[in-house]
Amino acid sequence: MSVTTRNSLLDRVWEPFRQQPGSRRALLLMAPLMVFEFFVFIAPFLMLLRISLSKQVRGLPYEAGTFTFEAYSEVLSSEFFHGLITYSFKLGIIATLLTVVLATFYAYAIWRSEGLTRTMLLFSVVLPLLTTLVIKTYAWVPLLAPRGTVNELLMAIGVLQSPIQLVPNTTGVIVGQVYIVFPYATLAVYSVLSTLDWEIVEAARDLGASRPRSFFEVVLPQAMPGVAVATVVSFAWSVGAYAAPGLLGAGSDRTFAIEVETQMLVGFNWPVATALSAIMLVLMFVSVVILYTALNSVGGDVSHGA
Amino acid sequence: MALERESVENALFKAGYGTIFAFMLVPLVIVIATSFSPSGNLDFPPAGFSLKWYSAFFDNIDWLRAFDNSLVIGAGTTVIATFLGTTAAFGLEARRDRWTQLLVPVVIMPLLIPPVILGVTLLVYFNEMGLRSSYVSIILAHTLWATPLVFFVMQSIFQRFDWELRDAGMDLGANPIRVFVHVVLPNVKSGIFVSALLAFIISLQEFVMALFLSSYGTRTIPVLAWTTLRQSLTPIVSVVSTFLILISLVGILLAALATNLDFIAKRL
Repeated sequence: MSVTTRNSLLDRVWEPFRQQPGSRRALLLMAPLMVFEFFVFIAPFLMLLRISLSKQVRGLPYEAGTFTFEAYSEVLSSEFFHGLITYSFKLGIIATLLTVVLATFYAYAIWRSEGLTRTMLLFSVVLPLLTTLVIKTYAWVPLLAPRGTVNELLMAIGVLQSPIQLVPNTTGVIVGQVYIVFPYATLAVYSVLSTLDWEIVEAARDLGASRPRSFFEVVLPQAMPGVAVATVVSFAWSVGAYAAPGLLGAGSDRTFAIEVETQMLVGFNWPVATALSAIMLVLMFVSVVILYTALNSVGGDVSHGA
Repeated sequence: MALERESVENALFKAGYGTIFAFMLVPLVIVIATSFSPSGNLDFPPAGFSLKWYSAFFDNIDWLRAFDNSLVIGAGTTVIATFLGTTAAFGLEARRDRWTQLLVPVVIMPLLIPPVILGVTLLVYFNEMGLRSSYVSIILAHTLWATPLVFFVMQSIFQRFDWELRDAGMDLGANPIRVFVHVVLPNVKSGIFVSALLAFIISLQEFVMALFLSSYGTRTIPVLAWTTLRQSLTPIVSVVSTFLILISLVGILLAALATNLDFIAKRL
């Protein structure tokens, strides 16, 4: 296609937009994404709510056209579901704590390093981030198995006399889950750190602050927005963990996500599956808002104090 | 004394990040190593070297079909997500007000919702729409995840672009679409390339939503790997994992060449 015919084609495409004011054109550019988000994100959630308010019926996923709070009261009143929800939140809290502490440290190390070291450290988080959850979970099986690498190693150096049970076990679930969310948390903290000026830290050191002290009193408060994002992401994904407890956990390591999958695809009880999802979304939303506000206010106070 | 303390701190610091570095990469190396297992066990260190699980992979019609499905879904996601993310980021650059800013949290939200909940929600919805287990349903689900990444990469690319170049083109009488194709596009090409690449990798590796939305005929590689794993631990899954890790590796290298690793890392 020659340049002239291409240009005349471009002119023809432009013709219908000529009359529109500039800001309207900008809206037109955003329209496809807005339409997409409405039909593939917002509308599906309204549908989810509607189905969670349907009657359960044997042989069908749900009974269309019915309206009842039955599924909600079933989830809210049963010991079994309470157990699932508590376990999910426990897993979420432990995995998040471990992840955020380690990730903040690692992000700091990346920020402080240069050249090849920095590239290698960044690479070590980007590659696992772009690797499927299935592999990230499965990779821990040969490592943590009773006759696996970790046990053999610990026995060889004499720490252990006999292999310990790491998978299937809660330990395995936590290790796997931390491994899954760690790259996201690291990059969230790193992207905030990389906007900071190292000279502020130097100044604190010149004034006599020790290195750990300058980290906790100068770097950390400034990195707080990144830490808050890292916490929220780790928490949301770990409470909703599916792959790690599914493959590395024992029967007792049952999260709500696994139960939702079972109810949905095996039990064909859609009202209970959707009601459980909706309840978890609300609980998670509330805890995320509390967490986020708390972390950001901590960051603010400390930076004013320092 | 102070010097001694400093060197101890340095050593501890290095040991700390060195350990995490190993923690991140060793599992992937072990997966690759177990794909060469001569037996049916996942042994590490491997008891020998054999390519028999690789030939088993290429002889297995189920794996090959899943591979095709992954490619179709990845390609569809790439096209749609790149289009939606790029146009929206371009539009937002031209018009920022309270209403258009609302788009940003809505676009991020899908990334913060546990994939199982998204999977259930979309399954219920697509079932109602008569699209259950279609390619379209999985492509749209993956687009929900890939679009935010494209959007943020493109947003920062557009922010760095020198808009006076565009104004100059407009002053010379070219219409805005012509200016976009001849002036803006050549300058943001590498950004679009990186976005498309990321969108493809995200789709290729996504598993939970695909698990809910696919059927026997449309399941992707990660879904088949998961279903296989639930029955038995076989080195054939290591073979598939090796391929997926290699694809991501090549993708990261290409993206890093087009921009740089630091730029990409900050936007993931």
